[in-house]
Amino acid sequence: MGLTYQTSDFRNGLKVELDGDPYVMTYFQFVKPGKGTAFTRTKLKNLISGNVIERTFRSGETVAQADIEESPMQFLYEDGDLYQFMDMESYEQVGIHSDLIGDDSDYLIDNIEVRVLKFKGRPVTIDLPNFIEDEITYCEPGVKGNTAQGATKPATLACGKTVNVPLFVEQGERIKVDTRTHSYVSRVK
Amino acid sequence: MLEPGLLRTRAALLRALRSWLDAQGFLEVDVPVRVRSPALEEHLEAFQVGGAWLHTSPEFALKRVLAAGLGRVYSLGPCFRDDEHGRHHGAEFTMLEWYRLGTDYRGIAQDLEALLQQVGGDLGVPVPALEHISWARAWRDHVRSPVPADPVEQFRGWVHHVEPALQRPTLVWDYPADQAAFATVRGDRAERFELYWKGVELANAFTELRDPGELLVRWQACNAHRRAAGRPPYPIDDRVVDAVGRHGPAGGIAVGVDRLLMVLLGLSDIHQARVPG
Repeated sequence: MGLTYQTSDFRNGLKVELDGDPYVMTYFQFVKPGKGTAFTRTKLKNLISGNVIERTFRSGETVAQADIEESPMQFLYEDGDLYQFMDMESYEQVGIHSDLIGDDSDYLIDNIEVRVLKFKGRPVTIDLPNFIEDEITYCEPGVKGNTAQGATKPATLACGKTVNVPLFVEQGERIKVDTRTHSYVSRVK
Repeated sequence: MLEPGLLRTRAALLRALRSWLDAQGFLEVDVPVRVRSPALEEHLEAFQVGGAWLHTSPEFALKRVLAAGLGRVYSLGPCFRDDEHGRHHGAEFTMLEWYRLGTDYRGIAQDLEALLQQVGGDLGVPVPALEHISWARAWRDHVRSPVPADPVEQFRGWVHHVEPALQRPTLVWDYPADQAAFATVRGDRAERFELYWKGVELANAFTELRDPGELLVRWQACNAHRRAAGRPPYPIDDRVVDAVGRHGPAGGIAVGVDRLLMVLLGLSDIHQARVPG
């Protein structure tokens, strides 16, 4: 076993290895029955499958650090089942299978910069930027004077993703989108 | 952030607790927080201060008061526990404890239910009727595997599977005898209940142990475990052992006041329910 984390090191975003798979911690809470030993309840997301598991660690237990390397990479092109990226430090080209990218592939526009996570040297997933900007290639025309609160319409972006936008937003405009919630943030000049 | 509204509600809670207890004839005792011995607890870490300890609960002092002839007593004030940090834990927190002569843990459960109704009424927060389940049944329903012999695995199963399932206000009755603490043991069960609500442990009650010999055995066993784990043993306070042998049949309970307020108000962190330290 290599480097380990103690339960007192736990925080969101920690990358750990359990049963041979890499996980990221998405929730942790100290729990202790009044008359019992202390534990930390956690939720852990498998970085390969995306499945979330719940584990409860006894205080003082250790868990292996995942051998994760993160590199900034630029998306180049899609090639069958492989998405090709270029490592922006080594200029090495890396192909990542579409299964590992999942729905995030909707946001892969040319030259977008993502972080590629490698587990034991093997790419396992990508982290998108929290926000992207893209052009609306299609939406219904805006309704002049309609300022109804909360009313939205679907808009298709150049990357292929469809998001709901307020009625006043027009085709051809660039908008900012939160990739974590898939929601419209604002128009971009 | 300090919310004036929250602090008003907190004051109303403290008032409601005191007014119910006072009306029932309970006497408020302001116990010392700096004490000779902090606990009979294998898993609680107390702060050492200048050759003494900070109490982890008012239990010892109230036992002595009970033995002195006062039959209904309570304490509402700060307690201190080291190594407990989280959304439901703090090194300093506010605890309510009351003890009543001439009853057992069932009578204390009736007190608790009446007190919660009063508090809910005063604060304008409806408190549903308490549900009841035995420890053994809660384990069977939520863990669905045999109770492991290893106490750590027992606690792990409890906090992982059972606690999060106890969302409605529920009394969990009759703990395993090895989790008796200060409770009377009958057969393989301790006469002890806990209140859970929204997955949070809010109160712990006993039919109080009245056998000083048994208390000494438990205290020495607790200290042996503490030494084996490299933690300081807690001094045996003869006055407490003596008091346990002198007071009549009694029930008692400890209620976490910060947690109670947190749950009543739907907050997620006890530190939102008090002035942060």
